[in-house]
Amino acid sequence: MESTTKTAYLDNAATTPVRPEVLDAMLPYLAPEGVGNPSSAHRFGREAKQAVATAREQIALALGAEPNQVIFTAGGTEADNLAVVGGALAARDAGRPFAVAVSAVEHPGVLEAAYAVERMGGKAIVLPVDESGQVERDALRHALQQGLALVSAMWVNNEVGLIQDIAALADICLEYATPLHTDAVQAVGKIPCTMQDIPLHFLAIAGHKIGAPQGIGAAIVKDRQAVHCITHGGGQQFGLRSGTENVPGIVALGVAVELSVQHQQHDAAQYGALRDFFETKLREIIPNVEVIGARGPRAPHISNVAIPGIDSEAMVMHLDLAGIACSAGSACHTGTVEPSRVLTAIGIPHDLATRSLRFSVYKQTTQTDVQHALDVIPGIVNKVRGLATTLGR
Amino acid sequence: MPRSSQSPKPGARVLVAMSGGVDSSVAAALLVEQGFDVIGATMKLFCYTDDVPDRPCCSLDSIHDAARVAASLDIPHYVLNFEDRFGRDVIDDFVREYSQGRTPIPCVRCNSFTKFRDLTAHADALDCEYVATGHYTVSKDGNLYRGADSGKDQTYFLWGIQRDVVRRMLTPVGSLTKKETRDIARRLGLATADKKESVEICFVPDNNYVKVLEEKLGLDAPALSPGPFVDSSGNALGSHQGFARYTIGQRKGLPGGFPEPMFVTRIEPHERKVVIGPASELFNHKAELKEVNWLADTLRVGDTCHLQIRYRSRPVPARIAESAEPNRLTLELIEPARAVAPGQSGVLYDGSRLLGGGILN
Repeated sequence: MESTTKTAYLDNAATTPVRPEVLDAMLPYLAPEGVGNPSSAHRFGREAKQAVATAREQIALALGAEPNQVIFTAGGTEADNLAVVGGALAARDAGRPFAVAVSAVEHPGVLEAAYAVERMGGKAIVLPVDESGQVERDALRHALQQGLALVSAMWVNNEVGLIQDIAALADICLEYATPLHTDAVQAVGKIPCTMQDIPLHFLAIAGHKIGAPQGIGAAIVKDRQAVHCITHGGGQQFGLRSGTENVPGIVALGVAVELSVQHQQHDAAQYGALRDFFETKLREIIPNVEVIGARGPRAPHISNVAIPGIDSEAMVMHLDLAGIACSAGSACHTGTVEPSRVLTAIGIPHDLATRSLRFSVYKQTTQTDVQHALDVIPGIVNKVRGLATTLGR
Repeated sequence: MPRSSQSPKPGARVLVAMSGGVDSSVAAALLVEQGFDVIGATMKLFCYTDDVPDRPCCSLDSIHDAARVAASLDIPHYVLNFEDRFGRDVIDDFVREYSQGRTPIPCVRCNSFTKFRDLTAHADALDCEYVATGHYTVSKDGNLYRGADSGKDQTYFLWGIQRDVVRRMLTPVGSLTKKETRDIARRLGLATADKKESVEICFVPDNNYVKVLEEKLGLDAPALSPGPFVDSSGNALGSHQGFARYTIGQRKGLPGGFPEPMFVTRIEPHERKVVIGPASELFNHKAELKEVNWLADTLRVGDTCHLQIRYRSRPVPARIAESAEPNRLTLELIEPARAVAPGQSGVLYDGSRLLGGGILN
């Protein structure tokens, strides 16, 4: 029943399939003969440790960091938490301000971490953004003047794909000698993205947005003194992230980051062409569609479109039954749809925000997939508009 | 008692409301077995907080349970957010009724408005010929009958749905006993097979509806403020802490020292009075219904039927005495009914067939 429909997976901003090269690289570490614990003193342990070290080098080289700055985590959210909560705790204990400022278009991994700081007795400031998602400079300077442990701004927003001018923010933060964290989960492999020339202190990445499996990510930590561990235990990874390393995942992440950064320009052109094809055709089919963030600088893999008169929750359901996978707003853990906080922050009216859908592409996406979506969307829009009228929303 | 529900039409699409409980899980499983094209949906009805930790129905865990069952049946499953509409149609009404001295049944309005109107609108848009639930009722040939398990029958809560929806209702567990339902769940290895029963109102934590009223109305609302207990002659007998804490027929929380047991016999919200009296004052020979809805051909003055005035009460024979206004009905009770509480449902039956009902006035 579920398997017979022709499908098109257009939800790659939620998770990508694993790249074949990545799978090949990690499979030996899942083989029956086993893999050692990187902390063990024997040959099996050494082999595992070497694999982790190689991945550190791959990631450091690709992102303009040093290998000993790479802290593997269980994903982007944990990396964000390490930077925001760990960074705030380190500041507090060093007698610096126990306060963080985060942009209004952050991923929950950052926003909720900031609120956790607040619950610990610190302060959380949410910085407003303009309609293209750029942090308001005056608000940032004002917050910095009051004293902050760190600032966090997402490099590429996960719902709309808006690109934050991280270099400009980093310069401002530098003026106030305040660390800047960026969640680069949606940026790696989609836009040029390196810490080489930008004075960033923290950067978070996740494997499952770039062709590695779910459950692996990393925080790049420029200065280990500027962050406290939030996971306590055996002291692995310079004491910043205790717990036995996820060796297969780490191997996968190393290869995925390396490939994503190497092929970024080529891949971005492919994503951008698919997105532009989708948006151009969609405007023809549904004349009053609004492409969210179309005027701001956008990463090429995400298209967030608001279709007047629809109910995005129902659209996702109907599209799914027609084999098309996409998201309404940001995926929430229960699968229900709340009006997007991010869309509200960039000034999208509430009504339009509840009528938005996110389509996102990756390497395996073809024009046929996009065309399939375009073929079924008009019929579904009509049905769902009828439903929305009946339900009065 | 009709046993089989309907002749399966293999391939016909059905939207199943899956609460995450055992009944709707089995309903979905049976429909899959019968060859229907089944889509599962769980309605998110209100904002879940820490107040409702292990409620078998309606909590986040229940959404996961429904999703697990759907996955094991290999059917698509969706969560539908009905918070706004459920809040308006069901919770707000629940609060308003109590604030006016009545005893509402939110499950009735949930069926009338949420499940068999809003959910059915989704079914329409999804090209679903049928809608199904885990209700203990039997839908057959456009009529609803009492569920086979007399202890579980839910027709009392279904009188308010639109008549044309009945033909589209599939009621796979209606002809089963609860035990049979659980046995099927176990046979199929459904994750919810041994889940405990939900008996409380889903949005009321710890069965403490007063707490919900306090939150919604404020502590100083008239319905929650002190007022007098009086007897049927108007003599003051003490004071109470808010008439919304009482319902007709209630015995607990009343002043003591009377020769015979006393019960709440009436609530007069304007004067915040709770009238109490002996059991003999609890019996009515007349019942007035408002918001009447028919699921069978309209009865006329003089026609007889059975009237059930509470979920657990025995139906009493009754005669239509008056039906001057379209949605109102007065019934003359051939046997008196005990503790007719305004706000509860008065439900009309012909044997096991549900004819319709209304809100007791």
